[in-house]
Amino acid sequence: MRVDAYEKVTGKALYGADRVLPGMAFAALALARTGRGRLISVDTSAAAAVPGVLAVETHFDLASPGFVMGGGFGFQSLQPMTDDHIAYRGQPIAIVVAETPVAATEAAEAITAEYEDEPTALHLDSEGATTLVQEEAIPLPFLADLKVGDADAVIDASPVTIEGTYEHPPQHAVPMELNGGVVHWDGDTLIVHEGTQNANALRFGLAQQLGIDAANIEVRSPYVGGGFGQKNSLLVHIGPLALVSKRLGRPVKLVLARTQTFHNGSFRPASRQRIRLGADETGKITAAVHEVDQQTSRHDLFPAMHTETSARLYGLSAYRGRQRLVQTDVQTPGYMRAPFESPSMFAFEQVVDELAYKVGRDPVELRLANDTDTDPISGLPFSTRYVADCLRRGAELFGWSGRNPEPRSMRADDGSLIGWGVAIGNYPCNTAATNATLTAGEDGRVTVAVDGHEMGQGIRSTIALHVAQDLGIPVGDVVVQVGDTTVGTQHLTAGSWGTASALPSVHSGLRELRKHLDVADTGDVEVAPAVAAVGHAVTVHADSVGPGQPADALAQSMTGHLAITGPEYPGFVTFSWIAHFVEVRVEPTTCRIRVPRVVSVADCGRVASPVTAASQVRGGVIWGIGAALREESMVDDRFGGFVNSTLEEYPVMVNADVHSIDVDFIDKPDYRYNPVGVKGLGEVSMVGAAAAVANAVHHATGRRHYRLPIRIEHVI
Amino acid sequence: MRPFAYAAPGSVDDAVAVLRDAVPGTKILAGGTTLYDLMKLGVEAPPAVVDVLRLPELAGITVTDSELVFGAGVRMADVSDHPVVRADYPALAESIWRAASQQLRNMATLGGNLLQRTRCGYFRGTDFACNKRNPGSGCAAIEGHDRHHALLGASSLCSATYAGDFAIALRAFDAVVDVVGPRGERPIALADLHVEPGEDPSREHVLDVDELIVRIRVPLTPAGRGSTYLKIRDRESYAFALASAAVGLVIDGQGVVTESRIALGGVATRPWRAVEAEQSLLGQPLTAESARRAGEIAFADARPGRTNRFRIELGIRTVADAVRTAGERAVR
Repeated sequence: MRVDAYEKVTGKALYGADRVLPGMAFAALALARTGRGRLISVDTSAAAAVPGVLAVETHFDLASPGFVMGGGFGFQSLQPMTDDHIAYRGQPIAIVVAETPVAATEAAEAITAEYEDEPTALHLDSEGATTLVQEEAIPLPFLADLKVGDADAVIDASPVTIEGTYEHPPQHAVPMELNGGVVHWDGDTLIVHEGTQNANALRFGLAQQLGIDAANIEVRSPYVGGGFGQKNSLLVHIGPLALVSKRLGRPVKLVLARTQTFHNGSFRPASRQRIRLGADETGKITAAVHEVDQQTSRHDLFPAMHTETSARLYGLSAYRGRQRLVQTDVQTPGYMRAPFESPSMFAFEQVVDELAYKVGRDPVELRLANDTDTDPISGLPFSTRYVADCLRRGAELFGWSGRNPEPRSMRADDGSLIGWGVAIGNYPCNTAATNATLTAGEDGRVTVAVDGHEMGQGIRSTIALHVAQDLGIPVGDVVVQVGDTTVGTQHLTAGSWGTASALPSVHSGLRELRKHLDVADTGDVEVAPAVAAVGHAVTVHADSVGPGQPADALAQSMTGHLAITGPEYPGFVTFSWIAHFVEVRVEPTTCRIRVPRVVSVADCGRVASPVTAASQVRGGVIWGIGAALREESMVDDRFGGFVNSTLEEYPVMVNADVHSIDVDFIDKPDYRYNPVGVKGLGEVSMVGAAAAVANAVHHATGRRHYRLPIRIEHVI
Repeated sequence: MRPFAYAAPGSVDDAVAVLRDAVPGTKILAGGTTLYDLMKLGVEAPPAVVDVLRLPELAGITVTDSELVFGAGVRMADVSDHPVVRADYPALAESIWRAASQQLRNMATLGGNLLQRTRCGYFRGTDFACNKRNPGSGCAAIEGHDRHHALLGASSLCSATYAGDFAIALRAFDAVVDVVGPRGERPIALADLHVEPGEDPSREHVLDVDELIVRIRVPLTPAGRGSTYLKIRDRESYAFALASAAVGLVIDGQGVVTESRIALGGVATRPWRAVEAEQSLLGQPLTAESARRAGEIAFADARPGRTNRFRIELGIRTVADAVRTAGERAVR
């Protein structure tokens, strides 16, 4: 069930850029056409001469918003159009506002510039790229290299060792909704309509950039047309838009072109993963070393967290992680669904598959033999960990027992090689501090305003379902408001903590509401009569923090900053888990790789909303297949930037590539983690999916692939 | 995108008159799926467009005693759904429904599709040197990403691939396009419609600026039934070919190949007919070896760039698979 399905399919749902305001003008960006350098001059004369042009601006008096992972609010610290420094190709150098979008675009294209070019470094191995040891460069406890025991010595002493180096390309999220929105001023109040996962960071980031009080800024983002991490912070176009709107005294709308979104928003950085495993002759893993080099920009250090998950996958006695950051000439990379975990598991779970072959053990059996109840890093128990159940149920649903382990041994009637692969994945369960306001109206409807953003994952449906079930009222009588800073704080919704963070404060609000309505703590409620008995509509506030999280996290959240805790909590550690089983078929002659069926079984605690949960998993699996077989952001060293920056050339999966994906859930609540028993799901859905595809390709062809994507030229 | 003048004449004669008197650079607009796209990218900037989408003379698909006749304004989707085309010329139908996406096929016309421009990223990105878009400026693809670039028919100035699918199948069946201009109507064999880049990559076909394609004629042939269009690409829809092959065969009662047609797509600078490969199949039974051999002959002159060498082997295998499929359909 999706409560906003009707609005979405009829076009009634208004996304950021859908606002049409009286007197609205239209903006367009002109972008730098050099990979790095100094801007000598910008010629805007032709642009200014285009009929209908209202303003052409090349310089703004804007402070840096700060980098979201460095105590700030922006996707990067660099605010374009404030000085003559060009850090990457595609950086905005001018903004045009005109009476029509056509005039604005034409004028923006007419802008030319002269540059003093500087050499660029675009890859992990490029000359001029700077490699930093992360724990030295960012000396924060949660980014320190994870170390337990002497992993190298344990591996050296192990009878079986495996080693592999895996390359992951940069990728872009390319959500359907383009970056952009509408801004306008109501007196001294700035109002921003923009699809974002982090309305409050936009608010406080703009306050910092413009030097105004955040109380005078409202951000509204009731729907986001796919966030996937690229919309998790303040983007560089909004500050200039606000100033231009003020100057013109008109609402201004800007929608970035698709190619512009490849450079004016974050992306999944390139990474290299080196894994070493030690094991005994039965495949019991003794220790692991996981070394990562991850791309970042020159101006920000985007922290790598690849080892957080690989360290927790199996029962290890020793582990050593090492993460380095490689500075290159790009915009700052960032979070894209399962940002570290998908590349990390692509590597780690292929090495585990190799181990299974080396010791001659079934890959499912080997994983079950390495299961554990205890987090190897902290020594604390997992609050819940049903990954073994995921593996067992998945194997049964898939028919894994029919697998001949010998590579190239299974063939379809048409001669295609059949490969069956398995991989598991995990994702940390962080929790954000949240607020909720519940109002029971005289008409019997209950309005819930809560911290969260609807990015298509279905948080509105999940919350409505929870309230409806708790009170015994129709789902249609619940109104959920999210993504709007005028009705709540609107802390960042990301990292799969959205539902698990919002539901506890809603849950607590329901208890409070029942008290004020003078009804029982549980059981169905006749809302309208209860409100009538009180004599007026009843409004209650509630909030919640994660286990052990200090209450001042709520205050921190209210200032637009990240206020999360986990996955290590007092006395336990919480992760979500998944097992993917994948069948690939490799055509006999032309070697096209197809994925006819996938079975994925997830442990996300209690399933709060079955329809949207299954949909989340399917989406994650589809993206995992895309990562394994298709997606790569291409770089041309001579120019910088990303060259395949369209939906046509950046090969996201299409429906014709998607076949059977069976999703199942363990559906056991984790009440130690939170009172609603719900763990995160969106991100873990993708973790391990690419590895399972790669393992299946190995089983089909006998060849292991150390670099993604695996394309036709790699198997022919 | 720049403002442009728009005219929508009511007949082919009127359209020709408008085109004859049009300002230089005027473009014919049909479905708009390529032209508008390129105008938004700044690759095309016509001062005026002449809309021929609704001209009645360009509509309709008819089957005569000797030909299949397609109006140039017929939407691609209507061809792939046409029962005679589907049954008797599967290669034609398949070449269409494997092109673009359903949304694009609902809008794009056959005439416009034939003249679809290349998808070379350096051609479509106005930041880069491109001899096709900006003659004499150089070619950024030669030292760049050339995974999709042509293996056949390239020159030192340009190796951009002809991207269409339908023209490949038409090439295999010796189709003819009828063109109308101020000097009247003339037929052009599809084989002569497109030109290789040679010394002037900006010139892609032989039509004059005031000429309009009005129909496409495909001579009837029993090889139509024994035909297929195989397209290999990075995803199963909405992607251009890494390699494609249109193959039509006639096989007699003794199992001997008596007619053979092979055209290649996605690998050449224009729709490519592999005549020697066709001849290698004639007069003998079809085998896996002869199918493979036909592919090898088809690609004997292929010249790879930096990153597209794999497409020679892929192209050979694509031909081999298509020949086998056509053979299965031809044998009755």
